[in-house]
Amino acid sequence: MDPSHEQQLVSSKPADRISNLEGAVIGLISNGKENTVPFFDRVESILRNEYGVSEVVRRIKKNYSAPAEVELMQEAMGWDAVLSGVGD
Amino acid sequence: MNLTSSRISTTDFAAAQEFYHSNGWTDGLPIIPPTPELVSASLGWALLPPEHLVGIEPVRERSITAEKLAVNAVMAGCLPEHFPLVVTAFTAMLQPQFLLHGATASTGGCAVLLIVNGPIRRELEMVATFNALGNTDRASAAVGRAIRLGLINLLDVRPGGIDRSTLGHPGKFSYCLAEDEENSPWPSLAEERLGESDVSAVTAVAAMAPRQIMNEWTSEPEQICDTISAEIRANQLHYSIWAGNYVVVLPTQLRQHFSDAGWSKADIQKCVFDRARVRRGSWNQVGKGSVVKDRADREYLAMETPEDLMIVAAGGPAGGFAQIIPPWLGTKSRATTVAVGACVDCEVP
Repeated sequence: MDPSHEQQLVSSKPADRISNLEGAVIGLISNGKENTVPFFDRVESILRNEYGVSEVVRRIKKNYSAPAEVELMQEAMGWDAVLSGVGD
Repeated sequence: MNLTSSRISTTDFAAAQEFYHSNGWTDGLPIIPPTPELVSASLGWALLPPEHLVGIEPVRERSITAEKLAVNAVMAGCLPEHFPLVVTAFTAMLQPQFLLHGATASTGGCAVLLIVNGPIRRELEMVATFNALGNTDRASAAVGRAIRLGLINLLDVRPGGIDRSTLGHPGKFSYCLAEDEENSPWPSLAEERLGESDVSAVTAVAAMAPRQIMNEWTSEPEQICDTISAEIRANQLHYSIWAGNYVVVLPTQLRQHFSDAGWSKADIQKCVFDRARVRRGSWNQVGKGSVVKDRADREYLAMETPEDLMIVAAGGPAGGFAQIIPPWLGTKSRATTVAVGACVDCEVP
């Protein structure tokens, strides 16, 4: 017998890409680990100074081993793009 | 019995091995081909219909059914009478506080430690004395292995896939321990955690590898606590500083010293709780000075409460040893105890 889950995976597709960062609102979701601070500081600096984003929203997940909480995901709906999934 | 898993046809035992290995369905060791007859026998023993929902892994919304779990248990070498322990273990692992996805995906590389209590240990002839955390008996080996095969096949926890462990440890093959209740002066772990006596239960812990200690040169309980606490402090400094569920496996010899002095498990928990704490500044001595910052005097407890230290009586009759099993990562995952046959989140008919 097949020991695998054999379940239909829910299909999904990546969000639409944005073509231009100029004036965009970009979210940075950190997992809260120590080394993400200087890393995202640098990312924010590049986004603002080299790509002209209008706003960078910095958020930290409550638990770095669990998915972002619902409230955070809802807030992210208001951003043009989000950078996440980066640990230390 | 209406089994719905896809059927696989192979010419013989050896071909079955190659087929299962080639599909990434094993842990690298040979498996028992899970025939419908063997799977049905496991389900029958546990009185579970194939479609019984053991639980849902919430992050990936993956349901775990009794049939699929039984297939993996058979592959691991479980006999039908072992299967209730596998079901109970997965029930515990699927409780939200266990954070199964995080624990099995983390670079930290923990395994799922099962601690078995109650009459079922005797029924399954589980061995809690000599070599307690090594190769002991059929039930311990097979049940522990069934957990890993279940994670691999039902949740895709394969190295490099969902499993992002940097190193892992050997307990990821099988990590199942029975408590030596017959030779223990204290209530069992399950009795402590469930408040019920003589109950068969499984405690699941997201656990790192055991760290062995030795102190054969004292009979003073406080001094034994000192040795245990020193190892926990070492883990706090060398691995993770955060408080969590530590397990102490206490074999007969050291247990006897505590017992002779009239100490209960609670006395040991309190003694270790008071000693197992470090200041952040101690990171300066172990190469982690860069993260001490301005918090050198901040104190970190190894456990949030004394009860977070889980004392398990197990091990051979001679030797002043004990083993400390640290948590995966603080309280991200909480040790979870479930009674065998308990209905968790069931709908009342």
